Amino acid sequence: MHPLGALLRRAGAVAGTLSAVLGLAAATGPAGATEDPGKATAPRMEFVPPPPGSYKLQKIQRVADAVLLDSAGHAIRLASLTQSKITLLTFFYTYCVDPLGCPFAHTTLTGLRDQVRDDRALAGRVRFVSVSLDPTHDTPAAIAAYGRELAVDPKFEWRFVTARRVPELLPVLEDFGQDVSVDLDESGRATRTLHHMLKMFLIDAHGEVREIYTLAFVQPQVMFNDIKTLAMEALDAPRIAPAPTESSTHRNTAQIGSN
Amino acid sequence: MRFERRLILSFGVAAIMSIAAVAAYADETCNSPYMSGLIKGQEDFVHVWTLGVPGMGDGSDKLVTIDANPASKTYGKVIHKISVGGRGEAHHMGFTDDRKYLWAGGLDDSKIYVFDVGTNPSHPTLVRTIDDLGAKTGYAGPHTFYALPGRMLIGNLSNVADKGGVTGMSVYNNKGDFIAKYGMPIATIKQIKGDGYGYDIAVNPAKNALLTSSFTGWNNYMRDLGEVVKDPEAMKHFGNTLVMWNLKTMQPEQIFAVPGAPLEIRWALPEGQNWAITATALTSQLWLVKRDAQGAWTAKDVATIGDPAKIPLPVDISITSDAKGLWVNTFMDGTTHYFDLTDPEHPRQTYTKHTGSQVNMVSQSWDGRRVYITSSLLSKWDKTGMDNEQFLRAFHWDGHELSPAFEVDFTKEQLGRPHHMKFTANPQRLTSLLDATAH
Repeated sequence: MHPLGALLRRAGAVAGTLSAVLGLAAATGPAGATEDPGKATAPRMEFVPPPPGSYKLQKIQRVADAVLLDSAGHAIRLASLTQSKITLLTFFYTYCVDPLGCPFAHTTLTGLRDQVRDDRALAGRVRFVSVSLDPTHDTPAAIAAYGRELAVDPKFEWRFVTARRVPELLPVLEDFGQDVSVDLDESGRATRTLHHMLKMFLIDAHGEVREIYTLAFVQPQVMFNDIKTLAMEALDAPRIAPAPTESSTHRNTAQIGSN
Repeated sequence: MRFERRLILSFGVAAIMSIAAVAAYADETCNSPYMSGLIKGQEDFVHVWTLGVPGMGDGSDKLVTIDANPASKTYGKVIHKISVGGRGEAHHMGFTDDRKYLWAGGLDDSKIYVFDVGTNPSHPTLVRTIDDLGAKTGYAGPHTFYALPGRMLIGNLSNVADKGGVTGMSVYNNKGDFIAKYGMPIATIKQIKGDGYGYDIAVNPAKNALLTSSFTGWNNYMRDLGEVVKDPEAMKHFGNTLVMWNLKTMQPEQIFAVPGAPLEIRWALPEGQNWAITATALTSQLWLVKRDAQGAWTAKDVATIGDPAKIPLPVDISITSDAKGLWVNTFMDGTTHYFDLTDPEHPRQTYTKHTGSQVNMVSQSWDGRRVYITSSLLSKWDKTGMDNEQFLRAFHWDGHELSPAFEVDFTKEQLGRPHHMKFTANPQRLTSLLDATAH
């Protein structure tokens, strides 16, 4: 059984249990405005991705450091997980049931891990990091159990981290621009229903976010090519001329600046 | 929009929201298709980016918020306004990818204002002003704000050097830091020479496609329209191209000769569709950009809008979410048109209505049942005298007829010239992660 099978099976079981209450929340909203997630649609890729190294990824932002908890319960600096290797970081919940949410993200990552593992040029140069959005319930033990089903390859670094408390996670979410909110029930009490927008962050070995994949952009071959592009960029760094700094308004050129 | 969603995570016996019933979305299609926070049904608020008018109120550009929910006691009323402390030719705006912030630009002063509309959409706040566009890029006139994941792609109209129409796109991250610039092509690509002009930008993620259009520079859009049309030299300085870019590489791959200033671009986003549509301002045509059987993009004019000889000046367009209908406003004759796009190669005009002495922006509600129209085009291009009506008019649409819902007179309210509109809704019984933990 593929390890993802267990996760997806678990997600399906929970969703099935909840099927009786489907539609309840939608029906209880006040007359008028409702936010709606829209019909879930898997991302499509109807094009041939540009080959690795034929483009430059933008430098979107530097990742701020923070102290989190690893799956053994030890404090760990986020910077140690976002530098020295190309990193693909995503936020998750161990009990996510959305088939196009965390299970989908982790299925994508599993496939990418296999692609990366089979590429000699990427050996030891790529890691995945999954950060829990729920420090309250996703304890180190919980994320360790979750991670055991995914990070099965000892040669590939896939780290699962959480935080000691919510206030210690919030600056990380703020820095990445990762939204999350919690449903209230009719009496105003917080439920365990959470909302967040799927985002996966590609970070270069210098701790700079170079691409962000929301659901429509979770296109595995593009993501793999982006990883390869960063790897080639690191190797070719001395040969790549820095981007021009002066205005090129009247030229048909692209300029990618640093922040 | 339909590609993106807010992920719903649930545990134990907590309720899970239904995602089954989805109404037809409408003007969401003018936003980034992967933006989150899709709203179904009745919108709560319409935010209107409004040009200041000297001597009217505080004379400043402002974001005006109007209650649009019929169930509210203040339905149809202005419930909030926030001035930016100057007049810089307020024009267009766009949401960030998480729909929590609105970026709004000034075509004259090139300032970009970031409003928080997520914390309390009934009372937006100004959280950031970006004023380094010219210094960072050499471009001027930030027009279209199109969310990319974690950042904002901005289509500009002009440049600081000669204030002409040669310009480019700029990218800022969601924190407001400059990231990159991309010049509109002036080279020849596949036998078509670029004019370097810019206007709208629209992305189709499934096709790795970015389509851009072209208008004119500061020298024209900040000049009296009557003078411009009488000046043969000025009339040479309008865009005549669409450009298809490779979104990943941000390189232009194809240029289409589209005479007459192609403006707003809308992709048909349903699965299986492979086209986008735009309207040309000066030649009054609908142009279809479509991928042919060999996979090549082609562009052709597929319909006229009104009588092109009278230059009705098509301005904003709004496509239905199923891509089977298109609203078009023509500024000069104050007419709102509806085209049946069932066959995008042969659009058919099925409805028209005179909706004002001058009309510019048109936005449908998410369920397609309401249509909002504003009056102002540009401060120097709006009509004068009695024809200078300044309003937001809301209509009901039953598929056959637009009927009035409410109207806000922006002159009477001393607000200014209303331009771009965006919708928001009150959050539905949500709280923050921190507050949830405290429960």
